[in-house]
Amino acid sequence: MPKSGWFWKGISNGLVLVAAAVTLVSCESADKAPATAAITAAQGAIDAVKGEAAKYVPDQLSALEGTLASAKASFEKQDYKAALASAQDVAAKAKDLGSAAAAKKAELAKSWEGLSGGLPQMAEAIKSRVDILSQSKKLPAGLDKDKLESAKAGLASLNQSWTEASAAFQSGNMTDAIAKAQAAKAKAVECMTALNMPVPEAAK
Amino acid sequence: MATTNEPSSGSWDATQWHEVKKGETLWKIAEHYYGDGSLHTKIFEANRDTLKDPNLIRVGQRLRIP
Repeated sequence: MPKSGWFWKGISNGLVLVAAAVTLVSCESADKAPATAAITAAQGAIDAVKGEAAKYVPDQLSALEGTLASAKASFEKQDYKAALASAQDVAAKAKDLGSAAAAKKAELAKSWEGLSGGLPQMAEAIKSRVDILSQSKKLPAGLDKDKLESAKAGLASLNQSWTEASAAFQSGNMTDAIAKAQAAKAKAVECMTALNMPVPEAAK
Repeated sequence: MATTNEPSSGSWDATQWHEVKKGETLWKIAEHYYGDGSLHTKIFEANRDTLKDPNLIRVGQRLRIP
């Protein structure tokens, strides 16, 4: 090949490389704006449901925030395609997160409605029975003094849990309120069983 | 002795009921639930809406056990 041929081939190869580099850079630049917009949208979508999600589905919120952090990390590394994909995924899942939080809130509200109506009745029935049995000269079959004392302590514990549950509910902490009310219910069931009282169907 | 806590399933009603059987008295019923017949007045008081006399209960009658 003549010298001039080598010269032009070199020029040609150089141009191809430059063109490839320009194409790559322009592609990256083309992905950067959508990735930026997607991350902003994803952040906004999370912020919109964060308040309720943190209360009712904190684990799901945490997972989604992790995905968003991953999208931001990809963006920092200039991997805009990965950042875009992750951020779009977050935005879609944030809507599901809002629905999940609303569903959990409704479920807890329904539980609270039942517990707040039923537990005072159970506590009242136990107190009545404990008061009467405390006046008895001889305890009935299946019940001894130790069991009665244990039931009295259980009643005090149930009342304490119920007071705490009510306070948690008043302060808007529904999850804690339900947990404490469930503890009170378990104690009520234990007391009623020890006292040979039938346990309400809803508490079983 | 027959004891129930009645209503339908899913109910929170904690009331304990007793259905009176032949030969039972309030005294005997109190002995069964409380171990002490002298506490029969507690059952009588809890059922004042249906009982006029503690000595007059009838078979099949449902009594609230406080």
